[in-house]
Amino acid sequence: MTVSMNPWIWVSAILTLGIFSFLYKENPFYRICEHLFVGIANGYAITFYWHRILVPTLIDPLSHGQKLWLIIIAIIGALYFTRFIPKISWLVRIPIAIVMGYSAGASIPRAIDASIVEQVRATVVTRSTFASVTNGIYALIILIGVLATISYFFFSRERKGILKPMSYIGIIFIMVGFGASFGYTVMARISLLIGRLTFLLRDWLGLIH
Amino acid sequence: MTNIWEKLAKLDRRIIYLFLFLVVVIPLLFPFKLEPKPMPPVVKLFNYIDTIPESKALIVSVDYTPDTEPELHPMSIALLRHAFARHIKVGVLTLQVMGLGLAQDALSTVTNEFNSRAKTNADSIIYGRDYVFWGWQTPVLVPILGMGENIANVFPVDYYGNRTDTLQIMEHLKNYNDVAILVSISGSAIPFYYITYAQTSFGVRIGAGSTAVQAADFYPYLNSGQVTGMMSGMKGGAEYEQLVEERLGVKGRRKATDAMSSQTAAHIWIMITIILGNIGYFALRRRKK
Repeated sequence: MTVSMNPWIWVSAILTLGIFSFLYKENPFYRICEHLFVGIANGYAITFYWHRILVPTLIDPLSHGQKLWLIIIAIIGALYFTRFIPKISWLVRIPIAIVMGYSAGASIPRAIDASIVEQVRATVVTRSTFASVTNGIYALIILIGVLATISYFFFSRERKGILKPMSYIGIIFIMVGFGASFGYTVMARISLLIGRLTFLLRDWLGLIH
Repeated sequence: MTNIWEKLAKLDRRIIYLFLFLVVVIPLLFPFKLEPKPMPPVVKLFNYIDTIPESKALIVSVDYTPDTEPELHPMSIALLRHAFARHIKVGVLTLQVMGLGLAQDALSTVTNEFNSRAKTNADSIIYGRDYVFWGWQTPVLVPILGMGENIANVFPVDYYGNRTDTLQIMEHLKNYNDVAILVSISGSAIPFYYITYAQTSFGVRIGAGSTAVQAADFYPYLNSGQVTGMMSGMKGGAEYEQLVEERLGVKGRRKATDAMSSQTAAHIWIMITIILGNIGYFALRRRKK
């Protein structure tokens, strides 16, 4: 056992224990650690936004008298801060509208292609799908799963006739999906716990190698 | 007997936490060896990267933050080991500001491993010749779409402040046309952005490294071929580590593999608690009837 002499490791270890103390019950130590995290994370992000984005792309060119049109962009961006002045807070809609317009224009055609057209294409079963028997069976299961799940969420008609058994099959597929997601979620959360405990036992206390 | 189930139903959750703590810690102190069996999505990604021609590059997008580091960092390290062992040119970027330190850590860990073993200049991994770290750019649409036109325009300077157009590696790494595959390792939806914008607009191949929580969301994209291969959670990282060591003989610390004994024990413990919880629920319900 070789306990670390690095003061930063000690800081990390104490903060980790502070966050873990919430498992016992909420306490001031946990609160301090939580607030420290939020403050440091924001400070870190703001520093990088300033040095890596604002200075090289806005302040440097303007200070050299280049790209003067950026002043207009900067003013529009600064309108976000009008949120804090009630009388002119409506001006915040201008940058929001520009960002939304750009994002929607850039996203809609590509999202339809990537998330709908390609997904529908992958669901369609053709003769070539059965070139391999295993692939063919999987493709059929996927096709049935997609149709059954969609029928479960089809609320425009009463669940009678073919819709009834289809929606029941849909529930089975949905439950299998939830089960898989839950299993993966357990793995994710345990991984994070292992990560912190490995840090405490290895880097801080030197109990494992 | 019913009394036991009543006690279990009212069990203080802190006792369950204590057991979980022990179940995770004991295998860390006394590990049992587990060799992960690589699953098809991981093998597909490995095989594709393994056959990247000399003229093409691999881009690793380190799109995670310290909160998901235990799951995702081993993937970055394993990918870089693979690429450097095969002398594949690598470009590294991040779309998360807090990914900068993690990307830098992964690069320094792997380059130090290779350079400490290198006997000649050709064996060494040299910055600007074998790899480049472009750094961070925001908002996400700007670098994702911009790199399809000209990477040097999106990242005029690299993470270290060098002009990117002066680096040797950039002579043959202009845009997505020079990229064999882009692997986005992320705890968020960033791989979806790469699929939606980079792949749809420029046709670049996408690989994904995701947290286990998100893995189920990515499978439809794997099935459709929009994702070439993927690693899911800590297990995915362990599988890639296994492939790199087994097929390429590249040794190094295998963080994800080391954690799999704890992971397995914790899963067994959680399964036991779920089973006990359900039995107790039905036993108590019968008693009430």
